[in-house]
Amino acid sequence: MVEEESIRVVHCGGSELNFRRAVFSADSKYIFCVSGDFVKVYSTATEECVHILHGHRNLVTGIQLNPNNPLQLYSCSFDGTIKLWDYLDGILIKTFIVGHKLHALFTLAHAEDSVFVITNKEKPDVFQLVSVKLPKSSSQEIEAKELSFVLDYINQSPKCIAFGNEGEYVAAVRDFYLSVYFFKKKTTSRFTLSSSRNKKHSKNNFTCVACHPKEDCIASGHMDGKIRLWRNFDDDKKYTYTCLHWHHDMVMDLAFSVTGTSLLSGGRECVLVEWRDAAEKNKEFLPRLGSTIEHISVSPAGDLFCTSHSDNKIIVIHRNLDASAVIQGLVKDRSIFTGLMIDPRTKALVLNGKPGHLQFYSLQSDKQLYNLDIIQQEYINDDGLIQIELTKAAFGCYGNWLATVEQRQEKETELELQMKLWMYNKKTQGFVLNTKISMPHDDHITALCFCNAEKSEIPTLVTASKDGYFKVWILTDDSDIYKKAVGWTCDFVGSYHKYQATNCCFSEDGSLLAVSFEEIVTIWDSETWELKCTFCQRAGKIRHLCFGKFTCSKYLLGGTEDGILCCWNLLSCTLEWSTKLNIRVMEPDPYSENFAAVSQSSEGSDLFVFKPSEPRPLYIQKNISREEVQWGVFVPRDVPELFSSEAHQWLNRSQFYFLTKSQSLLTFSTKSPEEKLTPTSKQLLTEESLPTTPFYFILGKHRQQQDEKLNETLENELVQLPLTENIPAVNELLHTPAHVLPSASFLCSMFINSLLLSKETKSAEEIPDDVDMEEEKESDDSDEENDFTEKAQVTSDPGLEEDIIHQLSKSEEKELRKLRKVDYSWIAAL
Amino acid sequence: MAAGGGGSCDPLAPAGVPCAFSPDRQAYFALASTDGHLRVWETANNRLHQEYVPSAHLSGTCTCLAWAPARLQAKESHQRKKRKSEAVGTSDQIDLLALGTAVGSILLYSTVKGELHSKLISGGHDNRINCVQWHEDSGCLYSCSDDKYIVEWNVQTCKVKCKWKGDNSSVTSLCISPDGKMLLSAGRTIKLWVLETKEVYRHFTGHATPVSSLMFTTIRPPNESQPFDGITGLYFLSGAVHDRLLNVWQVRSENKEKSAVMSFTVTDEPVYIDLTLSENKEEPVKLAVVCRDGQVHLFEHILNGHCKKPLTSNCTIQITTPGKGKKSTPKPIPILAAGFCPDKMSLLLVYGNWFQPTIERVALNSKETHMCLVRDISNCWAPKVETAITKVRTPVMNSEAKVLVPGIPGHHAAIRPPPPTKEVETKRKLGGNEVSIEERLGAMDIDTKEEKDDLLQTNSFPVLLTQGLESNDFEMLNKVLQTRNLNLIKKTVLRIPLHAVIPLLQELTKRLQGHPNSAVLMVQWLKCVLTVHASYLSTLPDLVHQLGTLYQLMESRVKTFQKLSHLHGKLILLITQVTASEKTKGMTSPGQKAKLVYEEESSEEESDDEVADKDSDDDWDEDEEQKESEKDEDIDEENEEEDEDAEEKEENGEDRDGASEKELNGDSDLDPENESEEE
Repeated sequence: MVEEESIRVVHCGGSELNFRRAVFSADSKYIFCVSGDFVKVYSTATEECVHILHGHRNLVTGIQLNPNNPLQLYSCSFDGTIKLWDYLDGILIKTFIVGHKLHALFTLAHAEDSVFVITNKEKPDVFQLVSVKLPKSSSQEIEAKELSFVLDYINQSPKCIAFGNEGEYVAAVRDFYLSVYFFKKKTTSRFTLSSSRNKKHSKNNFTCVACHPKEDCIASGHMDGKIRLWRNFDDDKKYTYTCLHWHHDMVMDLAFSVTGTSLLSGGRECVLVEWRDAAEKNKEFLPRLGSTIEHISVSPAGDLFCTSHSDNKIIVIHRNLDASAVIQGLVKDRSIFTGLMIDPRTKALVLNGKPGHLQFYSLQSDKQLYNLDIIQQEYINDDGLIQIELTKAAFGCYGNWLATVEQRQEKETELELQMKLWMYNKKTQGFVLNTKISMPHDDHITALCFCNAEKSEIPTLVTASKDGYFKVWILTDDSDIYKKAVGWTCDFVGSYHKYQATNCCFSEDGSLLAVSFEEIVTIWDSETWELKCTFCQRAGKIRHLCFGKFTCSKYLLGGTEDGILCCWNLLSCTLEWSTKLNIRVMEPDPYSENFAAVSQSSEGSDLFVFKPSEPRPLYIQKNISREEVQWGVFVPRDVPELFSSEAHQWLNRSQFYFLTKSQSLLTFSTKSPEEKLTPTSKQLLTEESLPTTPFYFILGKHRQQQDEKLNETLENELVQLPLTENIPAVNELLHTPAHVLPSASFLCSMFINSLLLSKETKSAEEIPDDVDMEEEKESDDSDEENDFTEKAQVTSDPGLEEDIIHQLSKSEEKELRKLRKVDYSWIAAL
Repeated sequence: MAAGGGGSCDPLAPAGVPCAFSPDRQAYFALASTDGHLRVWETANNRLHQEYVPSAHLSGTCTCLAWAPARLQAKESHQRKKRKSEAVGTSDQIDLLALGTAVGSILLYSTVKGELHSKLISGGHDNRINCVQWHEDSGCLYSCSDDKYIVEWNVQTCKVKCKWKGDNSSVTSLCISPDGKMLLSAGRTIKLWVLETKEVYRHFTGHATPVSSLMFTTIRPPNESQPFDGITGLYFLSGAVHDRLLNVWQVRSENKEKSAVMSFTVTDEPVYIDLTLSENKEEPVKLAVVCRDGQVHLFEHILNGHCKKPLTSNCTIQITTPGKGKKSTPKPIPILAAGFCPDKMSLLLVYGNWFQPTIERVALNSKETHMCLVRDISNCWAPKVETAITKVRTPVMNSEAKVLVPGIPGHHAAIRPPPPTKEVETKRKLGGNEVSIEERLGAMDIDTKEEKDDLLQTNSFPVLLTQGLESNDFEMLNKVLQTRNLNLIKKTVLRIPLHAVIPLLQELTKRLQGHPNSAVLMVQWLKCVLTVHASYLSTLPDLVHQLGTLYQLMESRVKTFQKLSHLHGKLILLITQVTASEKTKGMTSPGQKAKLVYEEESSEEESDDEVADKDSDDDWDEDEEQKESEKDEDIDEENEEEDEDAEEKEENGEDRDGASEKELNGDSDLDPENESEEE
């Protein structure tokens, strides 16, 4: 069924979306954001990813709409190129090779053929703003080497640069000063705030800057939460600034609305603040956004805002401060304590999500399903505040039970622990808290495991703790006469010589419980809770402990801190084999005997797949990741694949996912990238064709007419207007019956002359002609009157052209006279 | 995907609302409701993904809908050298949704962009569209209508490719063969067309009423020995309006047989049908039929030739509301649609009202013939806008949840009586040095009687307390236990009969777990009982079991000041012993008391030694035990601390106190020891 390809490591869940400000399309239908090496195009209405623009070979660092064509998008990257995209079709149009690492990109409407980028040329930490001239060429790849330097010693972040008032100046902030460069004057003004020496102003650092779109006004955000509005900065001495202060912590980003009437600011408080009319009292808030606001952007149409958050999400917000959509990636904000789990019910990957939440991430659709609020306390995001952390979670009994452990530790001795046991209520299709246990142990809980044996009637949970005990919790029926209720109670407490309990694991059939106490593994009978035997290898603390499955259920595997992997035979109570392997992750496959172990070495992480019965691995893949692998899990496949080769068989029923230290989720796949792409011919391409509506008939006609007019005026400003109806001579010529016309040779010169008229002379000429016609028709008009109209015509002409008309009038007069003569003569001949 | 027809007054119109799961992974569920709104739901988290109202939703309501085959996007396939990993995006993107309307137009709606993509009108139908079907490969769309025509659309250009008369009456249903070369159409009779030539290939009798659904059930012929031409030997299924039988037909090479091969019987008109294709001969076809009465019938059958008798369902699924109390009876919740998950072992059920349906994945159990799921959808009526935007679900935390705090039974393992072998041992140990319990009880009784004679009865309530404990009279107990007079407590405790000691302790434990204010009072009582009756308590063989809860409670309550209480305990011990010895030097104590003290002390010491000897065998127990014992002392010391002054003033039982302190030491030694043995 599947061709045998080599197994490769592939990326899941995408990169972070909050690296740079998101950009709206001109019609606010799409939102663009950088994500690793790609630019993603999302629909603001449906939150769906419409296109992924791929082509950059390194991190994309900036995106901007092409100011000359709002259907195109520029992007720049660390790979030293600027690319121009057609985002509607997802096509790369052009690549401009700059050659330096580009850190940010800015475009200006009036600077048509150049863009601004932040680069660092010489020293690694000295950044410059340069303008890059993008040469016009039809070729796909163009070298853009024409750089002109604008500002030096600027901050690397694009938030610290802003172009103001239609590109008249650029403002840059760094540390304690604001510098403004005026393009016209080519001067730089620098304004410095009192620096760190003064204690009161010690947190005066600039963090971000934004410029008013219409006025000369610069807003700057500061470390201490103040926003300063700078005015009159074209004068080094008379400049003023006003302060707006609501944020108590650093202002992360600022943005002016399109009209400039309101200023948006956000920070760690997770509150979007809208300052109306730049006044301190006119504030509007959008609170409880969940996590730190990193970036704010405004759509060019002005109807939408969006905020990028530290938990890898983008919130699309309406003008009236209503959140309308959330584009949420895999939450990557915080360290993962719970590890990776699979919810048996939804088959979703479960791990730490938002603070105090468990996130359910669907691997099939690569989308976050939801966050489950475990701690249920309003998250107050503040520096130095010690939060309650969700440290452990486990699913039991086919997803019917969820156990979570949360802890908060302010000082060494002040540990707060809470364990919650949630029952899945089928009636309401949601989790309901069943038992809450405060301080289940006196010290950190190191492991949590349910007994998932099929035959076990009573749900059983084991917690192991650093306090040297492990506790067995069982579900008991403590119904009194009033209410029927089941709750969890402690059934047994075990310990072994005061050693810290580090791991626990139930055997497949649930008859044995293995608990490791530092270096020693103890085996307990789960019926009577008697200590059956102990294993000790004296090879460091046990880090991983797991029973074998199916045919290998007689084996127990343990990985130690000293880099030894041991396999014990439970029947003979002997060590079956051991090997030197520095294991970081060891995970059993739920559907086979296989184990996956990821070992850590100096070069990177290696994967070993093995069966406990054999000390020889089934499959080895070296260097799966350069980073440390922190967690892994086998995810059962919905439909099993059929790999025939032995090396691939371990992927038949499950897929192995792992999470590295930088929180990128990776997995193994055998499909080649080409296979995943269908040729374009196979893609269903449908043309957009919408029928005309009554509105279209009204508006469309109107527009068509306008368009036609425009076209006409553009194409034949000079020729067509006089030709069709405006030249009475021609009219007359055409409308006069042939038999009364003079000979063609006679009329020719006049006709040609009328066509040669220039614009300036036209008016001066036409009118007399007109007048002539009138005369002809009425024939009783006096000469005087005729003169008068001529004069009036001259005065009505725009004054600027007056002398030109005067100049021309001499030559014209002759002509006019000629014409007059001619006219009179041939009409008189009538 | 089958889709029922829209709601109209026509008696021959199919029941149910048009709805369909998206292909492949069934990530979305589209439902066009009778109010003209199209809603797309995410099946995984039951969230409204988008809502679309066509501009002519009142006149041209949606009558049928079909998802386009998945559009495979050019994905993040670029390989990076540095990381040696590549990115896979969302694999195949499902985008277009074709909606047929009552006025004859077809709308193509893009679910990715959330807007109308195109509208197919020109040269198409001029009456109600009954069915739309996408061709898997060619990008064509087929539609049939009440105007008797079948139209083949080129979706790329949005133009009619071909239009032909399909039937003499309206054409109600379409289905494309698995190989994509044939088309089934049905009005009242069923016709099989060759798509290339648009000629009729086969005729089938059909149903008495308009056929509402057509579906191929197999992709391979039953006997694989014969050469397969793509269509001969395949089975297909048809369901009709007002018909409770689903017919299965076989396409045969000879043109003789026109009647159905077999049939399935259901309880009401089928509204939505989904099936798993059988890929080989052995694999049965699984069929889920949603009926108008809101039930789902599941069939599992290997299609193989004729069967005269209509088959009944293997399993029926129903959903009801929970009947709360006696008043409200459970009401059925209608199932709107059911689709098989890719693993073929579970079923996605859509139920509730079409405004806010609930989508649930139900694992199928082949053994059960009837599944009745109880679901509470009352809270689903409120639109969950908040959840829709923030994607946060809040699990229910109500007061019914059990709360376990340290000290409450259940937080720590209950202390069970030690196993019988050890009990024998301890009994022997105790029995060796001591007089029988009866004798001792007798002796104690005499003691108390004598004391009773000595002192006034008005300043103590032993009788009242005993009665209260026996009758478990709450008020009576309150009267006694809520006193703050320490002297009174002491005297009462001194005089209560021994058999009331354990009940008293249990009552005190219960009250200690209650409100902190009452716990403060109970501490006095507890301390008194423990100091006065320590000797009695230490004689009880099952003491650990009986007072286990109290022990755990005390341990957990004083845990935070462990070191302080250790020190305090040690000091108190020293001081009281010193003062006691001084006193014994100074004055002669009543003979009886002195005798008792000496007896107890000597026995204690002996037992202590024994314990120590025994413990030294297993070295690891030792320090743990010591710690434990210290802890235990301190608890008592702690309790004493509060009324130290009072104690010092008290002269009467001073000697006894000193003695009992030592006893207590012994006593507390016993607890952890037993415990550790048990472990």
